[in-house]
Amino acid sequence: MKPVIETRNLSRHYGAGDTLVKALDDVNIVIEPGEFTAIVGPSGSGKSTLLQLIGGLDIPNSGKVLLSDKEISEMSGSELSDFRRDHIGFIFQAYNLIPVLSAAENCEYIMLLQGIPAAERKERVYKMLAEVGLEGRETRLPNQLSGGQQQRVAVARAMVSQPDIILADEPTANLDSQTGMDLLDMMHDLNRHEGMTFVFSTHDPKIMERASRLIHIEDGRVIKDERRED
Amino acid sequence: MLMLKLAFRNILRNKRRTLLTMLSMFGGYFLLVLSFSVQFGSYEQVIKFFTKDSTGHAQISEVGYQDKPTLYAAVPATDEFYQQLMAQPGVTQATSRIVSSALAYGESKSFPVRVLGIDVDKEADMTFLKEKVKQGRYFNAQPDVDDYYEVMIGASVAQQLQVTIGDEIILISQGADGSIANDLYMVVGIIGTKDGQEARDVYMPLAAAQDFFVMPGQSHYWAVLTENYKESTALATELDQWLVDQKRLEAVSWQVVADEFYRTMKADIDGGYVAYYIIIFLVCIGVLNTVLMSVMERTGEFGVLKAIGTSPRRLFALIVIETMLLAGISCLAGFILVMPFNYYVASVGFALPNPMEVSGVIMSHMRGLWNVSVFLEPALIVLGSAAFISIFPALRAARIVPIKAMRSL
Ligand SMILES: Nc1ncnc2c1ncn2[C@@H]1O[C@H](COP(=O)(O)OP(=O)(O)O)[C@@H](O)[C@H]1O
Ligand SMILES: [Mg+2]
Repeated sequence: MKPVIETRNLSRHYGAGDTLVKALDDVNIVIEPGEFTAIVGPSGSGKSTLLQLIGGLDIPNSGKVLLSDKEISEMSGSELSDFRRDHIGFIFQAYNLIPVLSAAENCEYIMLLQGIPAAERKERVYKMLAEVGLEGRETRLPNQLSGGQQQRVAVARAMVSQPDIILADEPTANLDSQTGMDLLDMMHDLNRHEGMTFVFSTHDPKIMERASRLIHIEDGRVIKDERRED
Repeated sequence: MLMLKLAFRNILRNKRRTLLTMLSMFGGYFLLVLSFSVQFGSYEQVIKFFTKDSTGHAQISEVGYQDKPTLYAAVPATDEFYQQLMAQPGVTQATSRIVSSALAYGESKSFPVRVLGIDVDKEADMTFLKEKVKQGRYFNAQPDVDDYYEVMIGASVAQQLQVTIGDEIILISQGADGSIANDLYMVVGIIGTKDGQEARDVYMPLAAAQDFFVMPGQSHYWAVLTENYKESTALATELDQWLVDQKRLEAVSWQVVADEFYRTMKADIDGGYVAYYIIIFLVCIGVLNTVLMSVMERTGEFGVLKAIGTSPRRLFALIVIETMLLAGISCLAGFILVMPFNYYVASVGFALPNPMEVSGVIMSHMRGLWNVSVFLEPALIVLGSAAFISIFPALRAARIVPIKAMRSL
């Protein structure tokens, strides 16, 4: 099977000279379709930087990112924004829902960008929100939901457009540990059912246990890559 | 639809700011409508009055007369010509005048005057001359029992010559045939005020003037009216076309006849635009400020929208839509609220702080305009400015870099 994500000698530096920070230094990873991968490492190790480069939100200083064999650094700005819309789902640490849109509308938004007809949008949104356990809360605004519920909406929003890859940067960091683990279990279930590729970052040992693959990074370098049985 | 919903809910987010933004656009619209109404209403009134009373909407004269009026540049002043003229499309009224100068003598004094030979009945119908009679009465076309023609004189003429109603004056001038013209007339009316345009005028019946200046069946020009003064240029073109085979004659609009009056009026209108620019500028500043602020505050949010695949173009559109929604609502509210005010201004009117004199009549009471453009043009100006202003914040939103924006969350 061809890998869904591949990085080749990926490096991202900040500053120069004495203040040079190698946020990411010559990273080579290959992620197969359907994997449930955790990027782990202490704070400042380069997890976010890696996810942002994979998601095409940032540009590397050297090396490349291949998504399903397509090199994203060769895409133009609008190509990249369309590519993100159609192939990548993002989940952020701070949920980052659109505050003025309801749970359902937040999910609908991406499909609107994709030009999916309204009836289909509605159907898919309601099904997806039910899957993340938010049946009956579809019309609530983000601030009428708990943190855990908001992050579930974010998961639903990331998945509803059926992207190839879901990227989640510390999705549980703002949640208490039980809620965090519940969320992760739910994500893992969805990963098994829908076969989508998940890559998330965390520095929480309890959360790491949920992953089927752990890529450890430190100071911008991969130091260990382990696959575990479920 | 979702985009519109998003825009709409976004503007409801910070109600205080939205209210402030809308208030400045509302205020701008409101002021523009009333200023347009008052200014253009006044001009319309003045122009209407001036053209009706003095120049007509168009004039027919000999080519060159408008630049350099002379006694010898004559047009036919026959009933036949009048009938033909009245048959032209658009013509509603017409009257013929002789204009020249003379030296007037009273009992013991003399005074240079402008002599106007006019059609007594048509002039009374068409202009406000009859209303300007301050003493005595409007004159008759026929000579009196002693076979003297009646005249009306301007206030200065009366004062300088020390004559009054019932006195005689003698006029001396030159006839079109080169002869010396002199005759005796009965003063039956005094016209206008000493400061008025008619102060140095002597009005006599057209027939009397034709006798005096030896211009049988002739006059210097025809003043022609049409239904709407705004059609003046069209009327002039039309009449000029009609006169095409009479190479000696031409028709011009009042703007050409009274070019000085027209130029002052235009300069005045242009002066008024400064006030409008200031209003528009203030509105723009207010709107730019608040819209820019609302974009800055949402930098992180826009970063997320961009990260999940919103194109820069769509973000740009979102900001423009938000601003235009604000502008649209403001104009609508402004329209509803300014209507009663403008209705009052247009129907009841208002007193001018400095009454102005237009062709001999003091205008102290003005009315506003009540038409589509008075309401529509300010709306277009406000909407247009809002669209223009929104470009800057919209560009800012479109250019947001997702990761930078998300870090600021
Ligand atoms: N915009 C930036 N400017 C300068 N340094 C940065 C920037 N973003 C990240 N870094 C640095 O890069 C390193 C990796 O950061 P990050 O990827 O956020 O780590 P993590 O997500 O693992 O905590 C850190 O040392 C951080 O300070
Ligand atoms: Mg991080």
